[in-house]
Amino acid sequence: MAVAGSNKRRRTPAASNRISAYLLHHLQTMMFSLRKIYAAPATTIMTVAVIGITLSLPGGFYLFLKNIDAMSGDFRSSSQISLYLDLKTSEKQAQALEKQIAKMEQVISTRFISRELSLEEFRQNSGFGKSIDTLSTNPLPHTIIVEPGQADTFAVRNLLNSLQAMPEVEIAKLDTEWLERLYTIIEIAKRSVAIITILFACAVLLIIGNTIRLDIQNRYQEIIVTKLIGATNAFIRRPFLYSGIWYGLLGGIISWLIVEIGYLAISGPLERLNLLYKSDMNLITFSFHDFIVLITSSTLLGLAGSWIAVARHLNQIEPS
Amino acid sequence: MIEFHNVTKRYEGGFEALSNVSLQLTDGQMAFITGHSGAGKSTLLKIIALIEKPTRGQALLNRINLNTLSRHRVPYIRRNIGIIFQDHQLLFDRPVFDNVALPLSIQGYRPQEIAKRTRAALDKVGLLHKEKSMPITLSGGEQQRVGIARAVVHKPMLLLADEPTGNLDPALSREIMKIFVEFNQVGVTVLVASHDLDLIDELDKPRITLNRGQLILNDLDQSQEEDGGGWQ
Repeated sequence: MAVAGSNKRRRTPAASNRISAYLLHHLQTMMFSLRKIYAAPATTIMTVAVIGITLSLPGGFYLFLKNIDAMSGDFRSSSQISLYLDLKTSEKQAQALEKQIAKMEQVISTRFISRELSLEEFRQNSGFGKSIDTLSTNPLPHTIIVEPGQADTFAVRNLLNSLQAMPEVEIAKLDTEWLERLYTIIEIAKRSVAIITILFACAVLLIIGNTIRLDIQNRYQEIIVTKLIGATNAFIRRPFLYSGIWYGLLGGIISWLIVEIGYLAISGPLERLNLLYKSDMNLITFSFHDFIVLITSSTLLGLAGSWIAVARHLNQIEPS
Repeated sequence: MIEFHNVTKRYEGGFEALSNVSLQLTDGQMAFITGHSGAGKSTLLKIIALIEKPTRGQALLNRINLNTLSRHRVPYIRRNIGIIFQDHQLLFDRPVFDNVALPLSIQGYRPQEIAKRTRAALDKVGLLHKEKSMPITLSGGEQQRVGIARAVVHKPMLLLADEPTGNLDPALSREIMKIFVEFNQVGVTVLVASHDLDLIDELDKPRITLNRGQLILNDLDQSQEEDGGGWQ
């Protein structure tokens, strides 16, 4: 009689029952792992707090960047290009050019300032009125102010170049070089946050991996016994993987709480600052989508961390 | 059921725990392995339980060659064996019921079935009223009986026991052996390693005696002729 043939004698459960029993077993393992980490509150609190604090740093940076990004979006719409036309251009030609530019796709609006108007404004505002009167000719050119449609710096640059290429245009000047610098700084900050996120994700992997490794060592005897009564590696692995998932999930929630509390703590002075600048900017907090992404990734990190620990240590444990 | 052909087990460092042991245990037989400590009793059981592999020779369980068995099949083969340890190896973080139910949950039985079989096994060893107790609160004899219930709950074809009465007084030991005999009577093959010769003498079962890894006495073949073995 073969060993496999013995199943007939032992009436093993039917296939459909096996599937529901399998799902039920998963649920039981999940709850078993939860009870396990609940039963060791000191370890659990420490691990979960470390994960929470670790993840709150990239989370907080992300939120900070999100706010800066939103603010710079306001500046972006205010970027303008000033076109100083060739002095030989007549007013008629200049107005025709303005209409032509206004029709361009990348342009929202244009404004024409004639050289006479410019001179008048200059005379009034600069305080050099008398010295200007001594000039025989008006040194100021006709000016067209162009407002680009797209906020993207690259598109604005393209528009600037094409305007500069027009024969009537003497100088095309983008007023927003400082803004470009800001964008570059934001870009650097974004990449730094990405690097920090990767590093801290690795830290979370190591933290969870180490916790699970200790858990495996503590339950050495249990693993040996279950192996001896015929447990597969998958069966033994499962509770540890669920522990990792729980650690990740709880750590994610803690990090969310930390960021939210931190946000509340600085929101008072930030609102005052907002008021002082007469800005109508609203501060942005985690959206529901952000929350889901944070929780999901921390949970997946938990699973991955425990998987690494389990793969490294579980196979080494064999009864002897 | 169990066949050993010239099995030798040498551990690292050169210690030879078993030397050229050949034996055959048929279906439904019950036998004792005796010998002094260090004679190789545990090693013999470990080879059958797939904990150790022979260095030389062949060990077969139900005609399956244990030397060449792949790692991932080991759990499934072990599910046909019930193992009882001297120190019973209970899990102290869960009640008696969960300990006994473990082999069934490993094999994916449904909860109703698990409850039924677990209670039946506990009833068999007389501990049904202790199902909710934690193992630490039980006496040594009771703990060993829980270990037996766990070993038989999934109705294995083969029961292996390594010094099951080692820590128990004579009355309790007799009680434990009685349980083994009862299982053997319903068709389970039983192999018990023990050095409790007085107790073994009381039971009229064949013996395998080892001395320094060598087989010095083997009544298995004789008894097989006497009672027809268990060939089916």
